[in-house]
Amino acid sequence: MLSRRGFLKAGGLTLFGVGLMGGIPAFLAEAAASMKVESPYKKKKTLVCIFQRGAMDGLMAVTPFTYQYLKEARPTLFMSAAKGAGGSPLIDLDGRFGLHPSMKAFEPVFREKRLGIVHGIGSPNPTRSHFDAQDYMESGTPFNKGTSSGWLNRAVGLLGHDALTPFSAVSLTSSMPRSFYGDNPAVAINNLQDFAIQMRGNQAGANLAAKSFEDLYDQTASGLLKDTGKESFEAMKILQKTDIKNYKPSNNVVYPSSAIGNSLKQIAQLIRMDVGLEVAFAESNGWDTHFNQGTENGVFARNVADLSNSIMAFWTDLGAYQDDVTVMTMTEFGRTVHQNGTGGTDHGRASCNFILGNDVNGGLVHGNVQPLTVENLEDGRDLKVTTDFRSVFSEVADKHLKITNDHALFPDWSGNKIGVMKA
Amino acid sequence: MNSASKKNHRSICFAGLLICGLLLFSSFFSLHNTVRNSFRFPYKKAGLTERQAAAHLLSRFTYGATPGQIDAVIKEGLENWFQKQLDARLPDDSLNRLLSGYDALKLSNAEVAAIYPKGGQALRMAVKEGVISKDSVKPDNKTYRELLQNYMQEKGLKSQQELFRQLISQKILKAAYGNNQLQEVMTSFWFNHFNVSITKSDCAEFIPAYERDVIRPNSLGKFSDLLLATAKSPAMLYFLDNFSSSGSNNKAQATQSSVKNKQATTLQTQMAASADRLPMMVDNKVQNAKKTQGLNENYAREVMELHTLGVDGGYTQQDVTQAARVLTGWSVYPTGSYGQAGKNALDKMDADQLKKRGYVHEGDFLFNPNRHDNGEKMVLGKHFGPDGGYEEGVQLLNMLAHHPSAAKFVCGKLAVRFVSDKPPQSLINKMAETFKNKDGDIKQVLITMVSAPEFWSTSSVREKTKSPFELTIAAVRSLNADIQEPYQLYNWINKMGEKMYYYQAPTGFPDKGQYWINTGALLNRMNFGLALASGRIPGVRVDLMALNNHHEPESSQAALVTYSKIIMPERNLEQTIKRLTPMLNDPNLVKKVEDASAKAAPPQKDMMQEGTAMTAGNNVLGITYERKGKGNYMAKQKTGGNNSLLAQVVGVIIGSPEYQRR
Repeated sequence: MLSRRGFLKAGGLTLFGVGLMGGIPAFLAEAAASMKVESPYKKKKTLVCIFQRGAMDGLMAVTPFTYQYLKEARPTLFMSAAKGAGGSPLIDLDGRFGLHPSMKAFEPVFREKRLGIVHGIGSPNPTRSHFDAQDYMESGTPFNKGTSSGWLNRAVGLLGHDALTPFSAVSLTSSMPRSFYGDNPAVAINNLQDFAIQMRGNQAGANLAAKSFEDLYDQTASGLLKDTGKESFEAMKILQKTDIKNYKPSNNVVYPSSAIGNSLKQIAQLIRMDVGLEVAFAESNGWDTHFNQGTENGVFARNVADLSNSIMAFWTDLGAYQDDVTVMTMTEFGRTVHQNGTGGTDHGRASCNFILGNDVNGGLVHGNVQPLTVENLEDGRDLKVTTDFRSVFSEVADKHLKITNDHALFPDWSGNKIGVMKA
Repeated sequence: MNSASKKNHRSICFAGLLICGLLLFSSFFSLHNTVRNSFRFPYKKAGLTERQAAAHLLSRFTYGATPGQIDAVIKEGLENWFQKQLDARLPDDSLNRLLSGYDALKLSNAEVAAIYPKGGQALRMAVKEGVISKDSVKPDNKTYRELLQNYMQEKGLKSQQELFRQLISQKILKAAYGNNQLQEVMTSFWFNHFNVSITKSDCAEFIPAYERDVIRPNSLGKFSDLLLATAKSPAMLYFLDNFSSSGSNNKAQATQSSVKNKQATTLQTQMAASADRLPMMVDNKVQNAKKTQGLNENYAREVMELHTLGVDGGYTQQDVTQAARVLTGWSVYPTGSYGQAGKNALDKMDADQLKKRGYVHEGDFLFNPNRHDNGEKMVLGKHFGPDGGYEEGVQLLNMLAHHPSAAKFVCGKLAVRFVSDKPPQSLINKMAETFKNKDGDIKQVLITMVSAPEFWSTSSVREKTKSPFELTIAAVRSLNADIQEPYQLYNWINKMGEKMYYYQAPTGFPDKGQYWINTGALLNRMNFGLALASGRIPGVRVDLMALNNHHEPESSQAALVTYSKIIMPERNLEQTIKRLTPMLNDPNLVKKVEDASAKAAPPQKDMMQEGTAMTAGNNVLGITYERKGKGNYMAKQKTGGNNSLLAQVVGVIIGSPEYQRR
């Protein structure tokens, strides 16, 4: 309860109060011009998490292409890094791993050492159930189903200060994701434009209703409804001050018109508006590629193109805000080393993930992928999990958000960090 | 209640039952009720009038009072009304007519599996039968989608989405229109307590039958029956993985010494246990599972932590592991084509043979002795086995259901649902005593609760925040809305933050106002009120004029007062009315709204001719009229919605803070 009220207690209200008195607040106007401005409160960092639901084939996204075993296990899915063999080869990252050609948007940031990759990442719980694996990864407790909170909600509680605004934790999803379950204030909203009192075709009516509601909530005896009402209207007005619908990304960026592109675009808007966003969440779907996964073309290629192009559009749009933002992807597990009978891959164990930011120890494929031979596979079939997802998540939370209490963030876990972030 | 009115009530009761043609049977019950109904509600001592008490009662045990229901409850007698709700035998003819249009509601699990195949299953069948070539299966290939659709139609297959749509629709209709309101409230409560989720595809198809056969019939029965029924249901067996849990049948290993070994359960063994489930998890090789061995603790842990004892209920990790061993072999009778091989084998044996071999087959439940750990176990100090078979699991669940921690934990949750987010400990203690003394009889626990002064205390009245589902149904009931498309309401419920049947964690939705009320959700509640009142929710019609017997209020001020009282009876509305009045009297605003209203819904010619009383001058609320039936006029609702000021007033009342409380 306490944390939510920070917005009302602290500088937030006065800031917005001033802003609301007349015209567009200066800080918003300037933000719109991609100028980073000093806010009255200390600027906070933002962690953006993207869950790739369905289990991404990490071996195709970032292929350990030197292993003959993989080539033989995937007769029609294996891609080579060799140039001139026809088609687009993998992008050779380090002589051992090759990035899928449809993720070429990532290459520059990898070479600039802003993008780090962890390979062999996954959960210690070997379930191959999407549901269970997502549940465990999002609660952050791989052996306990009854954990009521999600790890990102706990992260919000561990930021060390009250939520500065209603936009402290925002999920760009229609319902609250498991990662956000918990007692700390968080908002799930698919479309920022919905953050308003709406009566289609009747703006006067909507205004009247909004005024009525605001007055009623201001007067109510229930503290919860009164305070949340106040926050809601403040939040609504903050968003109304800017033209959400006709948002113009900076640097002439064009976002892919996909779900994840649209989500990241809205997250960029919130960040650039300086409304106190600290933890953001978005989803990317369609990774469960049992059928005809494709290689340089096909469903997997389209998915990784969409993901990498969306993230890079977001990154470019951030402009001067890049220093304050880290993006991290995650997926519940990887896929079988062997392709299946329908040109796809089945549920496996380890996958890889991507971390982008200026404090990332980038330009490296982290982790410990052992030589691909049958003896090194888990259950004789899957890429072994050699890095616990919690070691990466906790390091990112520690270095980017200054959350050092690993035990509170990931109960039951004590492990080492692997250096995905700069020391 | 004086004896005259009681007599009066009884004769009304008789008359109604005569009409039902159940004279002998029912009158027995009616007499019986009066005898049994020995409790009295102490609301007067708490300073509540009978009307206030009736309003409070309805706010707790229904999805919201319908117009006039407070009067009806007073007439019937508060205690009598409550007893009938506990009996949950009121006829529901009109509701059943509405539900008859939903053809999936009465299907068995096997029929559901046959008609509503899981995602991808129909496709695999079509590929196998050569109807679709597997190379054509690409997301952007329209041809294969059409082929698949034709294939499904030919085979009489429907999408699972349709099954879930029907599940959700029936829940909305039952909550909105059912007469046995308490049973429906309790069904929601227990479903959430024993939560399962559509998000887990293995268990999704079993959820309609879970609510229908496991939860609802036991919702006012004994807690131990409910617990056992959930434990044996395919939905729970799949949701918390117990269907796959198996023990090694090695008795030597299962003695005291192994108890110690098990104590040392480490991550590794847990991982190994789960790894053994691997073949089951991958695609559809469920049949290979019979070869797998491995203990799965998920259900054993949650049955203690979430269903019975509570997290601080006094059990250890060792108890969890041991309980999991007791429950090995509790599984699902094979359904659908995938379990065919196992089913054939089982079907060959007659009931005697099955019994002789230690199998227990009840409906969809199967106890498979070959997967059961025959050894000795100890849970919470009680020994089970060796060779306890199915019965030791029943004993374990019974022990948990009757444990003092369960009484406290379950009664605490009931008090949170029905009294306040922080109910007094004294009340929980009273309820827990009844729970223990009356063998976990849920009705008796509720009677103890309502008979306690704490229930009627002013600190409990209106202390709960309506969940999005409760708000939606309450609003529909307050306005006597006509729901043609229930699923449209679900879209709003989801938007406001309660994606029912999809809550992922076994904890269920948290039952506290703080969880429901956040900024995004709150604005959506307000928008919901406006959308409902102005007729902008497709397939949900409201007739605002009918609520006031087709009397048009004389002014917007009068409308505010009249409709506030209709929608929020027995509340202190002074603040609401005071705050809203100035706005309604602002001529500029009103004019703007009227203009918008006129634009959205131009007056009908018909109305201009016949609407003599409704000149522009006194049509203060901006309502446009159309002829309907025998000279009845009703506020117009076109697809564009009803922009009248009345609709706005009502929308604001539904979205107001006072209405969010119950």
